[in-house]
Amino acid sequence: MLAANSVVLIASIGMTLVFLIGGIDLSISTVISASAVISGLAMAATDSIFIGVLTAIGVGFSFGLINGILIGFFGLTPFITTMATQLIARGIAFVLSQGIAVQGTPYGLMDFGFLSFLGVPAVTWIGLAIVIICIILLTQTQWGRHLMLIGSNRNAARFSGINVRFTEISVYCLSGLLAGIAGFISISNLGNAIPGVGDTLLLLVIGAVVLGGTTMNGGEGSIARTVLGIGLLSVLISGLNLIGIPFYDQLIIQGVLIFIGTWLAMKLSARRH
Amino acid sequence: MLNDNNTPLLSFRGLTKSFSGKTVVNGVSFDLYPGQVVGLIGENGAGKSTTKNMLCGLLEPTAGKIFVNGQLVEKNEGHVHGISAVHQELSLFGALTVAENMCIGQLPGSATKINWKKVEEIAQEQLDFLGIEIDTSATVESLGAGKQQIVEIGKALLHADKVLILDEPTTSLTAVEREKLFVLIDKLSTRGIAIIFISHFLEEIYRVCDHYIVLRDGTQVDSGLLANVPQRKLEEMMVGRTIDNANVQHSQPHGGEALRVEQLSSADFKDVSFNVKQGEILGIAGLMGAGRTEVAEAIFGLRPSTGSVYINGVKTENRTVDSMKQLSACYLPEDRRTNGLFLNRPVRENLSAAAIYRFIKQGITKLGFAGESHVSQKIVNDMGIAIPHIEVRVDALSGGNQQKVLLSRWMATEPKLFILDEPTKGVDIGAKFDIHTKIINLAKNGAAIVIVSSDLPELLNVSQRILVMRRGKMVGEFQREAFDSVKIISLAASSNDKGEGR
Repeated sequence: MLAANSVVLIASIGMTLVFLIGGIDLSISTVISASAVISGLAMAATDSIFIGVLTAIGVGFSFGLINGILIGFFGLTPFITTMATQLIARGIAFVLSQGIAVQGTPYGLMDFGFLSFLGVPAVTWIGLAIVIICIILLTQTQWGRHLMLIGSNRNAARFSGINVRFTEISVYCLSGLLAGIAGFISISNLGNAIPGVGDTLLLLVIGAVVLGGTTMNGGEGSIARTVLGIGLLSVLISGLNLIGIPFYDQLIIQGVLIFIGTWLAMKLSARRH
Repeated sequence: MLNDNNTPLLSFRGLTKSFSGKTVVNGVSFDLYPGQVVGLIGENGAGKSTTKNMLCGLLEPTAGKIFVNGQLVEKNEGHVHGISAVHQELSLFGALTVAENMCIGQLPGSATKINWKKVEEIAQEQLDFLGIEIDTSATVESLGAGKQQIVEIGKALLHADKVLILDEPTTSLTAVEREKLFVLIDKLSTRGIAIIFISHFLEEIYRVCDHYIVLRDGTQVDSGLLANVPQRKLEEMMVGRTIDNANVQHSQPHGGEALRVEQLSSADFKDVSFNVKQGEILGIAGLMGAGRTEVAEAIFGLRPSTGSVYINGVKTENRTVDSMKQLSACYLPEDRRTNGLFLNRPVRENLSAAAIYRFIKQGITKLGFAGESHVSQKIVNDMGIAIPHIEVRVDALSGGNQQKVLLSRWMATEPKLFILDEPTKGVDIGAKFDIHTKIINLAKNGAAIVIVSSDLPELLNVSQRILVMRRGKMVGEFQREAFDSVKIISLAASSNDKGEGR
């Protein structure tokens, strides 16, 4: 379960950063699928895990760069732009894979998927490392500070001499890159690249970020909160599974919980000042 | 209407309001008689708005009694008792006509068919009553701010015509529109309507009101007849301390030219040229929409323009806020909430926003910020920003403290040229005085300062030279010895475009 969660975790970190700058990245889910498929094809052709990793990261980054340029440079709205790239990525994943799971990935890949250290799967360690790196980027660097300030007030950032364009493009690139890593991890979990592997994750990712209390308005929230949000959601889901609540009933409960979580987060942040 | 002048239209006794245990307004009591114009004055955060909201029934008082025509009222329902209010933000629908806007609260006719003819009639009748000519079929967005205000007043009086509350009604009006509004207020008052006028422009209070109520920190400091108190006394009551800014000590401009603008042009202004010396404070006067903000933004590359800008004699190319920052120049935008502050971020981050690079830790990783909190705390102390600690969100601060934060952010970059756009807009008197002192001291230390302001007394007080801008052109220049407020206003407001009056 932890291994499956690290895909969601890594994707949610990207989404959190995009939320913090006041945007949204709807393409994360299908970019996971597209980079998994393309990486799977690359590995099937070369039999090299290393090339697979590079391909997945490269594909994710490229989608992020397209989003970033359209939003940061041409000023398109994040919602529409990333919705369009979501469709494109989904299409690419299905066209290239012809709709079926990509087979023939290297033998060692599953071993990597099952690798564990101190009883915790390696992919979870990767997720944690990414969490820590992103927390440092966000709180300890000029880039991170600029990101928060742009999210808080884009105009004021411009009037303060902050390079809004660069920061905005780079945050979508990072979000795409993280989706690429998540895509690769999904192959190592499953052993083959499934074209629709990420497609259903979008609402779970947004739900986790929002439940953690990061607002869509920007400039308010943190990565740690998203980790908490994922924790809450996964405890809830596994709890519901344990007591045997059917999948579709769970969706209703998840939705209601997100209402409550958002409301609570709003109340808490209103009380703090 | 004037039949009974001995019973107050409206009386309040011990009006108190608390929000979650915190008392915002404490024990406000007064009587309002027909035809009276009462000025409700106080600094930002003094409780004026809360009081207003209790008066017009938007908020229920925590304690206190309300009497209408001498009768105790259990629950104040505002317009049921003839009390209406025009709030600071107008509540008009821009795309609808004047008549539709005025009647929107209660459209005549049946539920399925509105009597549009009647709507026009009612609106026309109301405008005739106010004695103002406005086309009832024009859309509200096609009107100027002054006429919009009058439509709003007409709409308010349609439902309740005994007590009218005006909250900062002049903030978006030009000098001419303002005067028209004052004439209207005089007229309404002679017809027996009692008016509560909320403003922090004391000149306006003296112009229209006969009584005053001063609030400070939610308590009623004083009230009475306006004719009996000098303006300085009122200011001191508002601020709670003595103010002395009568003798501003200017330094003489020393050193060379800090900024020269030559033939700057864009869609909003044409051939603007001026210069500022080091140690000089230059004021730019003009009406709203004269193009002053646009010029300032063009100097900082925030909007496209043609022409040249020289900083310390060196011509600048491809200007951006960042490149100007490196040339030790800074621009404080006019609208601090939209363009200046990061409202949901702490004071510390707002202070360091333009100079965060200064705090990046040395070493291999370059991670983290050293000394940021320390420097922020020092700035807060130096500038007299009243906050409990530097991690408070900026949106929790009063207007004056917010403006000080914005000014301090740029002072942290140690600029030699400041362009300040409306540096004291919406700021209380105490903070205004502090900011003026700061500006004068900056100039004494050799900084060149350009102040764009619609507050003429401020420019007359602080600047050494004033330029007047009208409709995108520089139309006049006054040296300090020749400052003349009447001449400056008439030059700024003159409708004659050709007159290059000097």
